[in-house]
Amino acid sequence: MKRPWFILVGGLLLALIAYGASYHFASSNSSCCLLSKPMPELAWLQTEFHLSNEEFARIQKLHETYQSGCAERCAKIDAKNAELTKLLAQTNTVSPEIENALQEAAQLRTACQKTMLEHFYAVSQTMPPAQGKRYLAWVTERTLGSEHNSMTHDSPAATHEHHAE
Amino acid sequence: MKPENPNDPILSKLLREWKNESPLPPRFNEQVWHRIALEDSAPAHPLLFVWKWLTQSAMRPSFAAGYATILLCTGLTAGLWQAHESSQRASETLSARYVQMVDPYQMPRH
Repeated sequence: MKRPWFILVGGLLLALIAYGASYHFASSNSSCCLLSKPMPELAWLQTEFHLSNEEFARIQKLHETYQSGCAERCAKIDAKNAELTKLLAQTNTVSPEIENALQEAAQLRTACQKTMLEHFYAVSQTMPPAQGKRYLAWVTERTLGSEHNSMTHDSPAATHEHHAE
Repeated sequence: MKPENPNDPILSKLLREWKNESPLPPRFNEQVWHRIALEDSAPAHPLLFVWKWLTQSAMRPSFAAGYATILLCTGLTAGLWQAHESSQRASETLSARYVQMVDPYQMPRH
C-alpha cells in the first residue's frame, strides 16, 4: 500500500519542483528583476530597447540633466495654475486677468513640452536607429498623444515629489 | 500485529476443539444478511472510486511513468506561464513609471 502513495505524492512534488525551477529560470532574465535595481524605469528602458552599457550610460546622463530642469519648470506651472484657480474663484466671466493667466499657463506648458520633446529626440538619437525610432513613436504616443493631452492634468510638481519618495 | 502461523499444529488442534456455547442474539442471521445487503447496495462515493482506481493504477509502471510525465510538464508550463505573466506586469508598471518620470503632466493620483 506504500508504493501507490509514494508514486502519487512523489508526482505532485515533482510538479512543484518543476514549477519552482521553471519560474525561477524564466524570471531571472525578465522585467521582474528590474524592480530591485536602483533606477528600475531606466533599467527597463535598457532592456526594452536593447541598449548597450555605453548607450545606457549616455541616456542616464541625459535623463539626469533633463530631470534637474524639469522640477523648476513644473513648479512654475503649478504656481501659474494656482493663480488661475484663484482668479476663477473670484469671478464668473472671462476677465482680462484670467485671459492673461491662461495665456501664460499655455506658454509654460508649451515650453515644458518643447523641452520634453527635445529630450526624447536626444534619447532616441543615442539609441540604435531602429530602436530610436521605436522609442520615439512609443514615448510621444504616451506623452503627447491625444489621450494624455487634456487640460485636466494634476499638479506637475507633485510628480517630482512622488519621484523623490 | 504479528500474523499467526496457519500451519501451527497446536493452534489447529485448539481451533478444531473450540466450540462457541454462548447463545447468539435474537434474529442474528437475519441481521447479518441485512447488513451484507446494505453494504452491497450502498453507492460508493465517486472520490473513493477515483482514489481506489488511482492507487491500483499507480502500481502499473506505465501509469506511474505517464503520471509523473504529465505532472512534470504541467509544473514546467505553469512556472513558465506564471513567470511570463509577472514579467508582463512588471514591464507595464515600469513603462508607465518611466512616462511619469519624463512627462510632468502625468502623475499617479494619490
